[in-house]
Amino acid sequence: MDLAYTPEQQDFRAEVRAWMDAHVPKEPLVTLECREGFDQHVVWERTLASGNWGMVTWPEAYGGRGLDLIQWLIFEEEYFRAGGPNRANQNGIFLLGPTIMEFGTPEQKARFLTPMAKGETMWAQAWSEPGAGSDMAAIGSKAVRDGDHYVISGQKTWSSRAAFADWGFGIFRTEEGSKRHKGLSFILFDLNSPGITRRPIRQLHGDTGFAELFFDEVRVPVENRIAGEGEGWKVAMATAGFERGLMLRSPGRFQATAKRLVELYRQHEAEAAPSAREAVMTAWMQAQAYAYNTYSVAAKIMAGGSIGAEASLNKIFWSELDRAMHRTAMQLLGAAAELRRFDDGRMNQWLEGYIFSLSGPIYAGSNEIQRNITAERLLDLPRVGAG
Amino acid sequence: MEFLLNEDQLALAETVRDYLAGTHGPDVLRRLDAGDNRDPAIWQGLVDMGLTGLLVPEEFGGLGLGLVDAALIARECGRACLAEPLVDTAFVAVPWLLAQGDAAQMAAIVAGTAKPSVAHAINPWVSDGEGATLDSIDPLRNLTQPVGAPSSDPLLLDLGALMVAAQLAGLAEAMLDQSAAYAKIRTQFGQPIGAFQAVKHQLATAAVAIEFAKPVLWRAAQALADGLSSAPVHISHAKIAATDAAIQMAETAIQVHGAMGYTYEVDLHFWMKRSWALAGAWGSRAFHLKRIDDAVIGGGLAIGPDQTFA
Repeated sequence: MDLAYTPEQQDFRAEVRAWMDAHVPKEPLVTLECREGFDQHVVWERTLASGNWGMVTWPEAYGGRGLDLIQWLIFEEEYFRAGGPNRANQNGIFLLGPTIMEFGTPEQKARFLTPMAKGETMWAQAWSEPGAGSDMAAIGSKAVRDGDHYVISGQKTWSSRAAFADWGFGIFRTEEGSKRHKGLSFILFDLNSPGITRRPIRQLHGDTGFAELFFDEVRVPVENRIAGEGEGWKVAMATAGFERGLMLRSPGRFQATAKRLVELYRQHEAEAAPSAREAVMTAWMQAQAYAYNTYSVAAKIMAGGSIGAEASLNKIFWSELDRAMHRTAMQLLGAAAELRRFDDGRMNQWLEGYIFSLSGPIYAGSNEIQRNITAERLLDLPRVGAG
Repeated sequence: MEFLLNEDQLALAETVRDYLAGTHGPDVLRRLDAGDNRDPAIWQGLVDMGLTGLLVPEEFGGLGLGLVDAALIARECGRACLAEPLVDTAFVAVPWLLAQGDAAQMAAIVAGTAKPSVAHAINPWVSDGEGATLDSIDPLRNLTQPVGAPSSDPLLLDLGALMVAAQLAGLAEAMLDQSAAYAKIRTQFGQPIGAFQAVKHQLATAAVAIEFAKPVLWRAAQALADGLSSAPVHISHAKIAATDAAIQMAETAIQVHGAMGYTYEVDLHFWMKRSWALAGAWGSRAFHLKRIDDAVIGGGLAIGPDQTFA
């Protein structure tokens, strides 16, 4: 156990800080759930890439810096310290990227990872279907082999970023008549392919960042399949593990929110409820606990270990922490909580954040599913429905 | 920067865990409860493993290990619901006496013949002391009135709070294991109750609290070992996190055990009672929250994404 940064790590922090201070937009960007905001966020992705900060842990050959996980954590801490925007390409860099790194061919790595790191292609995920949400193995969308192409038909929904992104990834049934986890394949597709219709879904906050996708005999080259035909479930589970596990939600995000919450509390201390004071302290404590846990997981991975079903514990913890912090902020704001813009014109980011935080316990596998996984795989309890 | 318990630390903890599982099971707790609460043979076993000298420098015959090692073993003591005063003696009194340059009793502590029980002003009572006994809900606690003036040294308080947090983490883990085991064998409606999501989700929720209390504990132990000025804040954090996890786990455990959990027959009660006893020891929730309050809201500690290890 060594909880001091090396001089090299401190130098790296200073380097990130200097770059972020010089480049992070001074004014918050418009939400990336609308066209204007998405485009602003794509510009930011390219700015990041211009500094070679697109995805620091990836090998240099794919547009990364080849850094280790401690450096990644330092990068993320400084990113959120500086108030860096949400990552428009998070589905690409944090989910698909690690998946391609693990399962992709050298050609696929060169073809997809480098443009991802450079912010040139924005990615959407396409897991859920109307009849396959938490029960993802109920997927029905088909990809039928026709020579060196698949012909995809079916429907995906709740597809994050799909209204504006360039490419998508998902799993499709490639074996006719197959059931559940069998006969699925992991396929990447150009969202502008003939036969794809995107229908943006208007969300709770009124914006339309995610979408339904309709596939009408969409032809996709076979070389867009990741790993073997029929191995889609295994690949998707690995991707979901990345999502719940280390990368999607780095601790800096929550530490930054906790710090802003402390500042908000100080402004409203005179009229705040006693319960809010404890909730603010809990926010700091839990954000710190999440950070320690992430450093601990990073150290385990660097020592040759891996993250398994513990990823479910992480996902439950950060999503419920995020919701609790924003709920507390809404209480502190009192009557002003309902305003989308405060009377001085500033966006009410707490309201926007609270609404978004409500999706946390649902996306990336609902927290009910995460609790089942925790009980079945970490506590060895019988599977649901087992007699 | 390496937030990792090393192989030696994990191996030592596993050795102690196996030893206590073999020699200090629920049957022993029942025997002690029916008898004198303490057993010289059990104490001697701990002495023979070198645990009384864990923090004693090698020049006095000890192992010369550090506070993270001690916290790991204190967690095992909690897991086993150990009755003997190993933690108070070897992991609280020893480092405190050494910090004051008082090594007079070290050889006797290593040999197991001296068992100093330390009184601090924050605790109205002391376990295994010389004074009149009090009736704790924990049948094996041996709580006594203090004799003489207690110390008010903040270091002693921090050591005590850290080690009680470590025990609470171990107690919580043991209750989680017991509850999961029970949920697998108790059947109702034709299936193990652990197959019902209503049961699964309660246990998973408690597991989350335990999982995220542990790294706080190791961080606090390392902060104290490193002599960080912020160590008291991190120890208070650990005490709150471990206490909350243990109390939540105890309530979940009895719920999962159903009516059986309300009996003396099922072993669970020893662990619940120890958790209740330790929850308010070495500083109440209010005391520790106040230290967090001063640091976080009062501004005594730098906070934010770039201040993880402040």
